[in-house]
Amino acid sequence: MSAAGNQQPDIQLEGSPADEKDAKLAAAVLRKDRKATAEFVTRFANGIYAYVLSRLLPRNDLVDDLVQEVFLAAWENLEQYRGTSPLQAWLMGIARHKVEDHYRARLRSPGAIDDLDGDSGALASFPEFEEMLEQEQIRKNTWRVMSSLPEQYRMALIWRYWEKASARDMAAKTGKTEKAIERLLARARAEFRQRWNHG
Amino acid sequence: MARDFRDDELMERIAETTEPEERRTAPSCLKAKIYSALTLRQAETGPLMGLTEVKAAGSRLCVFEELVRIGSVSERIESLNICRVCHARVLAEHLEHPPIYWKGCAYVQLKKT
Repeated sequence: MSAAGNQQPDIQLEGSPADEKDAKLAAAVLRKDRKATAEFVTRFANGIYAYVLSRLLPRNDLVDDLVQEVFLAAWENLEQYRGTSPLQAWLMGIARHKVEDHYRARLRSPGAIDDLDGDSGALASFPEFEEMLEQEQIRKNTWRVMSSLPEQYRMALIWRYWEKASARDMAAKTGKTEKAIERLLARARAEFRQRWNHG
Repeated sequence: MARDFRDDELMERIAETTEPEERRTAPSCLKAKIYSALTLRQAETGPLMGLTEVKAAGSRLCVFEELVRIGSVSERIESLNICRVCHARVLAEHLEHPPIYWKGCAYVQLKKT
């Protein structure tokens, strides 16, 4: 940590007024202004919490620790924030990395993928989306099913489809082969479909 | 295999049209813990900004901080992380609705959001 003492950090102010406000807040936090630090938490904790909660669902027990890790990592790296983009977006980038680290660690563990091998059997097809009555119903069903999936399946699906990671990228980050990741995703999708249809 | 491609496409559509959960706000005790952890981490690498300077920057001090500021004989005292020994911190970190109300307290600010 190199946030040295109470010296004024060199933060560029090139963005919008909102970004300038963020840059001033970041500079005050770096000067260890305790009230600015409280404002930093006040302004951004809800957004980071909502994001992490959605990505770790239903492992609520892990959310608090990870959110705190995001803020501590932000403090460690705050000098690198240049004030050219919203602080919220910068923090969200850290949160994404933390979530990805979590996925990587969980999927990397020995047997994390192969142990879940199962035969989903002959499954009914997805209902056509055009037939779905409401968006809200889709959302509820989606997260009901996601919450009930084994953790590795859920993480793989969120990482691949919501975080838009490629199978190749996931393979590289977990130390698995791309084929193994594709197999995991295929099983996860099949399980998702089964639970959707029979939920 | 054909089904798998179809599933892949459907998952992409689901992901595009649904966000995981309705937005939830962070528990106030989590915010309190994060604030405590941050100020603790800040204090590990040197003194916090002095209370006189904090006040000069436009922030309101709590009653205890004001007392410390007025009674301080040195800048070092003013820069201490006095929230560490305040009962407001303990209450805020453990209770979702802590009975703390005085103005200028960081933990009171955190519980309101």
